[in-house]
Amino acid sequence: MTIPTHEDREQAKETLAYIRRTMESASSFTAVSGWGLVGVGAVGLAAAWIASRGGDPANLRVWVPAAVVSVAIAVVSNISKAKRTDVPIWSGAIRRLVWVMAPALAAGAMMTVVLARDGAGYLLPGMWLALYGAGVAAGGEFSIRGIRWMGVSFLVLGAAALLRPDLGLAIMAAGFGGLHILVGLDIVWRHGG
Amino acid sequence: MAGSAVTESLDRLIHERIRLGIVSALAAEDGMSFADLKQVLKTSDGNLSVHARKLEEAGYIRVLKGFEDRKPKTEYRLTAKGRRALEAYLEQMEAILSEARDALERS
Repeated sequence: MTIPTHEDREQAKETLAYIRRTMESASSFTAVSGWGLVGVGAVGLAAAWIASRGGDPANLRVWVPAAVVSVAIAVVSNISKAKRTDVPIWSGAIRRLVWVMAPALAAGAMMTVVLARDGAGYLLPGMWLALYGAGVAAGGEFSIRGIRWMGVSFLVLGAAALLRPDLGLAIMAAGFGGLHILVGLDIVWRHGG
Repeated sequence: MAGSAVTESLDRLIHERIRLGIVSALAAEDGMSFADLKQVLKTSDGNLSVHARKLEEAGYIRVLKGFEDRKPKTEYRLTAKGRRALEAYLEQMEAILSEARDALERS
């Protein structure tokens, strides 16, 4: 083989890095677990049902534990899908998805404290849906299109719940329950699991 | 990337950046739709279809056309020939680096 020039070596390094990045991006592209989203949706429906019995649609004693359980389901299901599909757990799409979603979710947590403290709890359903939607829509940039559309749909549901706080609980059931389940099943169907 | 004798010897078909991207993505994720590939490679419709056609003509990838929810869907898969071409290309890249390392040690 002809002796490679310095330029050849740099190009080879850069090319190998490009191949690696592309493979990582493609394989973690569908790393979001569909069954995980179905599980999160089931928790959302259950929380909405429990909250409806208590008479307080945005009851934090229902929704905060539901959020914790949902995060746990998302973590476990994504790890198990990554293991099954032989994709690094903390790389590519999942890592970017989490970092992009984190600011919107942190803002949601802050707003929850303030709105609940100041007696504006009726705004919580719309705010939760809208900020969750903002995070998911941004994170969807790094995953399949279904995720981005799910985020945009949550934003629309958030706007609806802010305009009609009396329908907040039903809209949360549709979003955190129905939408998660539908998108989850779509991912299971198209991308296997 | 034209230039030295080393790069001249590479498989021109997958040396081009978008085509290398298509082959690499399909090697990692078997069966990707046109839209998913476009997003992974961050390229335009026209660019992707032109390069995908070249790879298809060379027998490196297979194109499956069908319908999903009554909408046309194009799916791409890597053929055994395409996988071998990528493996050979990767070996060439690694050889360039190891040759360069040897030359560095000798000097």
